[in-house]
Amino acid sequence: MLKLIAKRLVSLPFVVISITFITFIVGYMAPGDPILAMLGGRTDPAAYERLKHSYGLDQPWQDQYLDYLSGLLRGDLGLSFRFQGRPVADIIASGISVSTALGLAALAGSLVIGIPVGLWAGVHPNSKRDRVGMALMLMLYSIPSFVLIGLLRWFNYQFYLRGLPSLPVAGWGRPEHWIMPVIVLASASMGYIARLTRVSMLEVQRQDYIRTAHAKGLYNRRVLWTHALRNAALPILTVIGPSIAFVVTGAFVVENLFSIPGIGFLSVQAIQQRDYPVIQSTTVILALSVLLMNLITDMLYMAVDPRVRVEG
Amino acid sequence: MRDSGQPATEAQTIRLEAGRAVPAPKAFNFWSRLRSNPLALISLGMFVGIVVLAVFGPAVYPMSATRPDYASINAFPSADHFLGTDNLGRDTLARLLQGMRVSLIVAVYVETLNIFLGALLGLLAGFYGGLLDVLVTRLADMLFAFPGLLLAILVAAAFGPSVTERFGGIGRLLLVAGSLSLVSWPLMARLVRSRVLVLREQEFVTASRSLGGNRPWIMIQHLLPNILGMVLVASTLDIASVVINEAVLSLLGLGIQPPDPSIGKMITEAMPFLEANGWQVFFPSAALMAIVLTVSFLGDGLRDVADPSAST
Repeated sequence: MLKLIAKRLVSLPFVVISITFITFIVGYMAPGDPILAMLGGRTDPAAYERLKHSYGLDQPWQDQYLDYLSGLLRGDLGLSFRFQGRPVADIIASGISVSTALGLAALAGSLVIGIPVGLWAGVHPNSKRDRVGMALMLMLYSIPSFVLIGLLRWFNYQFYLRGLPSLPVAGWGRPEHWIMPVIVLASASMGYIARLTRVSMLEVQRQDYIRTAHAKGLYNRRVLWTHALRNAALPILTVIGPSIAFVVTGAFVVENLFSIPGIGFLSVQAIQQRDYPVIQSTTVILALSVLLMNLITDMLYMAVDPRVRVEG
Repeated sequence: MRDSGQPATEAQTIRLEAGRAVPAPKAFNFWSRLRSNPLALISLGMFVGIVVLAVFGPAVYPMSATRPDYASINAFPSADHFLGTDNLGRDTLARLLQGMRVSLIVAVYVETLNIFLGALLGLLAGFYGGLLDVLVTRLADMLFAFPGLLLAILVAAAFGPSVTERFGGIGRLLLVAGSLSLVSWPLMARLVRSRVLVLREQEFVTASRSLGGNRPWIMIQHLLPNILGMVLVASTLDIASVVINEAVLSLLGLGIQPPDPSIGKMITEAMPFLEANGWQVFFPSAALMAIVLTVSFLGDGLRDVADPSAST
């Protein structure tokens, strides 16, 4: 167990350095002189040098990278190009909490619906409800989020036209603002989770100990709920990592189409304003948080499943 | 088994050529298997239809994709404008044909990069091993550290504006394709590498080596034909995600720049008016889904054709 964790932790610095270095170097190589752009038409060499120094851009790239790294460790994400002298952390701080809340809600939703649907289908493989449920989940998994948003909004509008209760299609703050974005964000990972749960359930039902339980004369229901379910639940833990990746990418589209002031929305604003430090920071934060969540779920899996520990 | 009519010795058929063992060409079997697979045939037909529409459509259809017609803004589908017009009075069908062309061009560029970079590196790394293998797998791991589209978003955002300024629309198209392939070529490299690792230990490779075949010969004559089917299938399936990802980049303002149309851009531009002009969102969404579904079915069909043992 400890050996396995140690193995994971050894490769961790490599991944962290990859993420930070690639984001740094892309921003470093981005063409154009941000300082010149900031100063507008004025070309006072002294002011130019002073500003360049305050952004640390007068240093060689390796020093800039080390500065960037040590800043990251301290939670300092550098300064915005667009809003002169304003720390990036300041700009995206509010976005992070919005996106985290939205992402967690979507993740919870996809688990709460995806797992039961997968179990429900996996208990009776190839039955009608298995086929219908899985077809539905495959659809949710493969439909692009922006197409799903269009569909949902259209149905919502039909509700509105008929005087039925309908949801707001943009904005943030009230509880009803959450419903549509969470549905859209949750859908892809929900489909993924449901399909994996089903496979895991099928896998478990084929095991010897299930046959033994049946042979002992236990009721079907008891075999299912006490023997199969417990063991089928294990692999489901592993899908949480990929699901978070779905949610992170989905956040860019969903936040922009629903005007939610999260990290995805702020990054797109930064893209339009050519504010690279903001884009760099959101990329690093998102990549590192996915990495961290993957690590946590892996360790959780190791803690729960003794077989993994033995093999390690 | 679908191909039960084929001679059972097909896999063992060996043609002797200049003293070296060469597996029999698979082309004949490929086409005859394709003919007996209705799903693959239909989707291939639809795919050809989409390509023809995208290639010849804009030339045949007389309407301009970029010229606004202020006399008919937000027009319903009619004899003048088959699919209606958008909020600037631009013809939806013309824009859609142009947008499909953009999607397919990007897909072709990305898959070319995937094959010539990903598959080639995977083949070389798997076959030669050693330092090359370490470098390729480490590079792929580095790029894999970024979840989803993050890296593509970062690269497209950093280089987008200056590429458009210097190289215009075509440059931007190439940048979009390049940044999307950053996300997909490592996958292809990993796939090919793992297949080559298995293949190079097999008897026919040993046989060729014992008959005096040198390494390039083995790679080109024995390994390449054996991974071609897999590469073809993987890149066909990948087109679906490339088309969606291109739409997402356009949606975030990172793709093709206005006034040039792209499917993702059309959806974003029409989204605010969805309640009033639903068809402006519907047509591009439907076109996108048609491309994605066709390509997915074609990929599944080709997989059955190229490797009947892989299908369940």
